[in-house]
Amino acid sequence: MAHASRIAAEQYNYDIVKKFAIMALVWGVFGMSVGTWIASELAFPILNFDIPQITFGRFRPVHTTSVIFGFGGNALFATSYYVVQRTCQARLYGDLLPKFTFWGWQLALLIGVVGYMNGITQAREYAEFEWPVDLLIAVVWVAYAFIFVQTLRRRSQPHIYVANWFYMAFILATALLHIFNNLAVPVNLFSMKSYSLFSGVQDAMTQWWYGHNAVGFFLTAAFLGMMYYFVPKQAGRPIYSYRLSIVHFWALSFMYMWVGAHHLHWTALPDWTSSLAATFSIMLLMPSWGGMINGIMTLSGAWDKLRSDPIMLFLIASLSFYGMSTFEGPLMSLKSVNALSHYTDWTVGHVHSGALGWVAMVSFGSLYHMIPRLYDTRLWSQRLVYVHFWLATIGIVLYITSMWVSGIGQGLMLRAFDDFGNLAYTFIETVTFMHWPLAARALGGVFFVSGILVMVFNIAMTIRTAHQEQAAIDAKIAAKLARANA
Amino acid sequence: MTDKQTDNAVQTTGHAWDGDLQEFNNPLPRWWIWAFYASVAFALIYWILYPVWPVGHDYTKGVLKVSYESNGKTVTRHWNTRAKYIEDMQTGEESLKQKAYLDKVVNASYAAILSDPDMMAFTRSIGKGLFGDNCAACHGSGGNGVIGKFPNLVDDSWLWGGTVEDIHATISNGHRGFMPAFRETLNEEELDEVANYVLSLSGQAVDATKVAAGDKIFNGQKGGCHFCHTHQATGLKSVGSANLTDAVWTIADVPHAADPRHKLEAVKAVIRNGVQREMPTWKTRLSPEQIKLLTVYVHELGGGK
Repeated sequence: MAHASRIAAEQYNYDIVKKFAIMALVWGVFGMSVGTWIASELAFPILNFDIPQITFGRFRPVHTTSVIFGFGGNALFATSYYVVQRTCQARLYGDLLPKFTFWGWQLALLIGVVGYMNGITQAREYAEFEWPVDLLIAVVWVAYAFIFVQTLRRRSQPHIYVANWFYMAFILATALLHIFNNLAVPVNLFSMKSYSLFSGVQDAMTQWWYGHNAVGFFLTAAFLGMMYYFVPKQAGRPIYSYRLSIVHFWALSFMYMWVGAHHLHWTALPDWTSSLAATFSIMLLMPSWGGMINGIMTLSGAWDKLRSDPIMLFLIASLSFYGMSTFEGPLMSLKSVNALSHYTDWTVGHVHSGALGWVAMVSFGSLYHMIPRLYDTRLWSQRLVYVHFWLATIGIVLYITSMWVSGIGQGLMLRAFDDFGNLAYTFIETVTFMHWPLAARALGGVFFVSGILVMVFNIAMTIRTAHQEQAAIDAKIAAKLARANA
Repeated sequence: MTDKQTDNAVQTTGHAWDGDLQEFNNPLPRWWIWAFYASVAFALIYWILYPVWPVGHDYTKGVLKVSYESNGKTVTRHWNTRAKYIEDMQTGEESLKQKAYLDKVVNASYAAILSDPDMMAFTRSIGKGLFGDNCAACHGSGGNGVIGKFPNLVDDSWLWGGTVEDIHATISNGHRGFMPAFRETLNEEELDEVANYVLSLSGQAVDATKVAAGDKIFNGQKGGCHFCHTHQATGLKSVGSANLTDAVWTIADVPHAADPRHKLEAVKAVIRNGVQREMPTWKTRLSPEQIKLLTVYVHELGGGK
């Protein structure tokens, strides 16, 4: 096996995949820890310590950027570079260019995160990077797209595997979203400050067109790409339905672009944009579920693997959370439901059932599958994968349920009337009510972070073992050669 | 189904990637396709009912209508959130309940409201929300205030007057509470004397000789404290100066001082540094009805005059 993988290592560029995979874990630990910290700040404001850089408002984009673009982004770079090579049986295009995407991406993240802590932000949710960083990202992204397409062109088989369609859709849509939402005029060439090209309601529309499609193409389509490779690989079974993959791919790509306005229900937005977005959100449900069906049904006939394979547990649990949050999303996009849920923690809980349950779980599963193969070894401990799985699952369940209590509770309080037809509660009473759910949510975060720390330890030991094995083999070969020469 | 798949290998598309990656060619699950059609049907119905599709510079209006009163006439509009809001405020169950009380309270005099248990019950209910969302940030949700910063509204001491008219004026126009700093005018010794005098006014144990000296400064040209606080030291409503004889403290935290020395220090600090407080104007943020209701609510909090 060692021999085979040495050939693989020459055939494929694994070095770049390793780099991205490790940085995914680094940003994951950092971003999730910051998330747990700000969650604790909301429950116990004393944790702000009056230090401006770590207050909730500054730290929140640090959290979102680190987990979405740091953890998620690096995991996507890693897996897409791995998957495209393996399914095309071709080495990744270029040598310096992939390295450039790596260093460019990390630099953009670093500048962004340090900037946010010091108040440098565009104040656009999930697009807080100021213009110089936006330019850097744009260049990195174009390089990424070019590498991906060139590698696809080198493929040794006529058909392009489904995972690559999803990665490709993600790369193209993200480029489009990033560029249009960040059209801004800098105050001057030497200032980080810029102003959006759009104003008022159009600006809001553009931002949420971006915001929702970041969810759609970055956090959904791309991770479906990941799912389409790692689920059948880990299960050792063919994908359930090729037809379903085609239909739901195009349906998903077509429907997503319309739904951003559902983030702006009951605002100054024209009513027609709002209802249009709501209906497309409803029609998006089944296309979203197509991916879940294809993933879960792939395991049919091999359900026993759930009893013996903790990686499979991660992957199947992630698909279940994916199904749940893509059901909850269309529900919340209906105006009547949104009137209750909007501006409450229900939204936050919904995002995290997708982010922790789907994005993080599928990434954990994929990284557990991929990293030992990159280093040509086995996972150091299967048992620790189980420990990670349960820590993560308990964390997510605590998180989502406490946010349902907090969000739906606050929503109901804000619309409760007393016998006189007056509002029954003041705002501050709703905040007081949220204290314990917020504390429970922070505890959920502690569980989730503990899980990824267990993973980091397990992966570190795996890599160490791989190096030791390699050294032993090298020593053996050297000894053999010495004997042969003697 | 499981067996059919595993046994029937010809069902795959025949492609293989990365060694063993294959795809079955199962048909689309029937429930999935019908659920998708159902969601499309839902959308179609929605599109008929509500404004949805942009057409040129206009948009499809949908068949649902909303009606409401405007200047005595009934106005009918296609479904839209603004009209929906007006309609709800005019005909919603809770709105009507609230409106019946509001009409009564708005048309009643303060005296009539204060003597009517039903109107007072309504005022307490709506006032709790108004006070909680607008006033509590400074005065506290119970109205207890913060010594040194924000006046206590539940005691019966009123700097700017405690009648409904006074409270109404205070909420409407706001106030600037001001006392000059005396650190340039009086030296440490003199500050000590005045503070002793001030404490003596509410019967605190103090140094009798210093009190006499402080009296001179307070009531003479040197300090001139009496200009605002009066010779009787009972304060003046017109400038919001405090009554120093009633043992109610809003700036110097005398009640919580550990011993006489700290009480003296607390009073001295106020004389030395002066006072600058501001209550904002509310007439530009709250409606006249809301101010009226809040006036009654605050009046009742402190058992107003």
